[in-house]
Amino acid sequence: MNFKHKYIFLLPGLLVLIGILIFPILFTVRLSLSSWDSFYPGLDFIGLENYVRLFTDDARFWESFFRLSFLSVTTVFLQYVIGFALAHMVWKDIAFQRFFRVLFLIPMMSTPVIMTVIWRTFFHESLGPLNDFFSLFDMTPLWLSNEYLALVTVITVEVWQWTPFMFLLMLAGLLSLPKEPFLAAAIDGAGPIRKFVYVTFPLMAPISIGAIIIRLIEASKIMDTIYVLTSGGPGTSTETSSFYIFIKGLREFQMGYSAALSFTYLIIMIISLTVIANVLVKLFIKKA
Amino acid sequence: MTFVYRTLKYGFIAFWSMFVVAPFLWALSTSFKDFNSVTGGATYIPWVDFEPSLEGWKVLVRSPAQGGINIIEPYFNSIFVTCMASLISIILGTLAAYALSRFTFKAGFIKNNDITFFFISQRIMPPVVLSIPFFIMLGFLGLLDSMVGLILVYIVLLMPIAVWIMVDFFNKVPREIDETALIDGCNPYQAFFKVVLPNSIPGLIVAGLFCMIFGWTDFFFAFILTFTEVQLLPVAIVALNSSITPWWSLSASALVSVAPLIIVAFLVERYLSKGNLSGALK
Amino acid sequence: MDLIAQNLSYKPEQEFHLNDVSFSMKKGQLYTILGRTLAGKTTLLKTIAGLLTPQQGTLTLDGQDFATVPVWQRNIAMVYQQFINYPHLSVFENVAFPLRQRKMDNTIINTKVMSALQNVGLMGFEDRKIQALSGGQQQRVALARSLAKEAGILLLDEPLVNLDYKLREQLREEFRNIFSSQVSSDSILIYSSTDPVEAMQLGGDIIVMDEARVLQQGTAKEVFENPATIRVAQIANDPAMNMMQGDIAEGKIRVNDSISLAVPPHFSSLSSGRYTFGVRAADVSVAAKGIPFNVELAEISGSETYLHVQNGGQTLIGLLDMVKDFAAGDKVNIGLDAAKLYAFDESGRLAASPFGGGK
Repeated sequence: MNFKHKYIFLLPGLLVLIGILIFPILFTVRLSLSSWDSFYPGLDFIGLENYVRLFTDDARFWESFFRLSFLSVTTVFLQYVIGFALAHMVWKDIAFQRFFRVLFLIPMMSTPVIMTVIWRTFFHESLGPLNDFFSLFDMTPLWLSNEYLALVTVITVEVWQWTPFMFLLMLAGLLSLPKEPFLAAAIDGAGPIRKFVYVTFPLMAPISIGAIIIRLIEASKIMDTIYVLTSGGPGTSTETSSFYIFIKGLREFQMGYSAALSFTYLIIMIISLTVIANVLVKLFIKKA
Repeated sequence: MTFVYRTLKYGFIAFWSMFVVAPFLWALSTSFKDFNSVTGGATYIPWVDFEPSLEGWKVLVRSPAQGGINIIEPYFNSIFVTCMASLISIILGTLAAYALSRFTFKAGFIKNNDITFFFISQRIMPPVVLSIPFFIMLGFLGLLDSMVGLILVYIVLLMPIAVWIMVDFFNKVPREIDETALIDGCNPYQAFFKVVLPNSIPGLIVAGLFCMIFGWTDFFFAFILTFTEVQLLPVAIVALNSSITPWWSLSASALVSVAPLIIVAFLVERYLSKGNLSGALK
Repeated sequence: MDLIAQNLSYKPEQEFHLNDVSFSMKKGQLYTILGRTLAGKTTLLKTIAGLLTPQQGTLTLDGQDFATVPVWQRNIAMVYQQFINYPHLSVFENVAFPLRQRKMDNTIINTKVMSALQNVGLMGFEDRKIQALSGGQQQRVALARSLAKEAGILLLDEPLVNLDYKLREQLREEFRNIFSSQVSSDSILIYSSTDPVEAMQLGGDIIVMDEARVLQQGTAKEVFENPATIRVAQIANDPAMNMMQGDIAEGKIRVNDSISLAVPPHFSSLSSGRYTFGVRAADVSVAAKGIPFNVELAEISGSETYLHVQNGGQTLIGLLDMVKDFAAGDKVNIGLDAAKLYAFDESGRLAASPFGGGK
């Protein structure tokens, strides 16, 4: 169909989105070419100086980026495996099916930042229940102030919060699968493991790719959890790109420099997500 | 074999259920504590481990002048901002999604899929990247620390979700239905409102639920773009965290803020079981 | 001359969906567009409906340009092969929808809807939900909606193809009666089908389409008796007409070493040379004095047998009016009646037919 009316449907949404975004995007680009900071606020022009600094003299940014990559990949991998497993478990006949389905969805519905406040008390090194448990073994792990354990804590909270989202996508996928391949597999006498490897998993491959990409996009924005839980600490050991940009821009008010960071970060994200999507398609679909 | 599998399965389900409810139970227990029962180390069961107190809950309904926490106003602010932004996003997103699903657009190398991707790709932007320019833009427009400003920002956050879900949904509604409506004398607008929309309610509900979830759970934009006039719930609660940390009122308010979304969880599950979600999510 | 298409072409991407299509249709007539899947039938119907805009060519109705009239202002009705109704409306409201759209009076709507439902045999179903109906009933609702509209052009896109065999037969019969009694002489009826039997049964004119082109337009009898090309002969017969490559020389038709026939009288005007000879499956018989063939496959269908035979690379399908078991590899003598043969020249056009067609 092709009527002139089509623009009336498309344009309001498109224009509103562009209208709200055009200024922030252009402004970020322009800002990144200036030295705006708390001493000299203003849009002067310093060329690519910020970008030179970023690529030659800012190990902290790149560390935060690799940390983010590590955190995103680890949490999304765990979420995928656990989410898929849970979805598979409550997919078919199981007692209290609805109860478990609702239960497994709940963390995703709760505000991350608020739940992280609760988790902070949970992981509290002297007053929290977790170390109350570990004290039985005469241990007091420093969940929030040891640089490695702090990462484990962040990963735990992220997995708790967002596995439900993966669970939801995977369960919706499982429920939409055709029945015939399973019947065929049953007739061929395939056991549960063979059935999963040769039928369920290949059929779920496209949905898996979509779910992983969506989660990677969301996970790369991780910010609230870290802000409340560790504030990037101890030291910079849980600092991610978003948090570093936040510190440079809204704590130290190096607006120009943080804009350059933002812009570089966005470009890297778009490229790496495209690459990851292609790799995933090769990996999953080939196997299937 | 089957026995081992079943044991593992139920074992894991039990473990995960514990993990899911642990922070809620801990918060529930903590909300009935007072200063002494918190600082004395971890305690769990009221009356057995500690003497329960209603202080954490009372604080929520007391006025700030009397040392209470103002949570009711942020609560309504959150509801209003979330609902308005969701509503606008759904309206604009649904219209755009319909256009992208049914009509052909072509401008140079840009085609339908590219436009759809443009909408959805806005989710890649981390809030922090947008927050600085938004701060300056809203300041310029005089919309800092206002509901209108927040709603504008949330539209960017939520419209991609609405477009994503609705494009997918419309692609599954046979286009012959719209064509029949056109043949039966409807112009494209009438066909959309009289025929397509009434048959898209499941998709609209799913899109609505998702917008609500992502709007309700946002913290960062509200944190950066509002100060005193308009306070949203997550910001209000996190503000408690940074002061002297009264764990009991913190827990009580956290539970209160999470409660409405439990209903959403039930709704999502219902639509999942009916099979309506599967179409909308793929 | 009422609905006239001239040189319509539609090419959304690389391939033509309509390629230089021309035809003319008169009011009060039934036209069947016959063609295989993807021949362009649906595209043609959607173009007439106005859902697609051809890149080239003209479409006129009563001499007025029809191509620029928006769909919703064309007085048309369409029934799809998928059972398309409005799922959120009751049966009554489904049929009333186009009438309400025209802002007709409620009492008139009531009368028209009821009479349309009566015509399709759905009295008493007014308040049902669409989802509660069977496929055949859903298609009846769609038909009732198109009838109630009293549209100037009624388009039916393979309306029976998704129904099971028995229901299809039954509905086809009903459709024919409804078409002849309920459709006014001001309307043009356009029916598309892949089934030559259906096209012949419905009567009226046939437009044969293949690969986006119109190959032949004529009455059912004409298309059956004198198919214009090899392709038409294949499309308009089920099973497709058998084709044999061969020569006419020295008063003989020669296909290969063992298949050879005397030239029948209706081939007398043909000069010597290379031809493709066509014979209908029904004109292939088992005869004691026939040509020896090997059986490849025999399918029994009802009281008939489809016999696939082969001789020196030449395969034929015979439709035998009996039930008989053949085993693959059996030898069988096949009789070919030379008087029933068609001849097509090297460009694939009809050269001679038993009904007097050809050059």
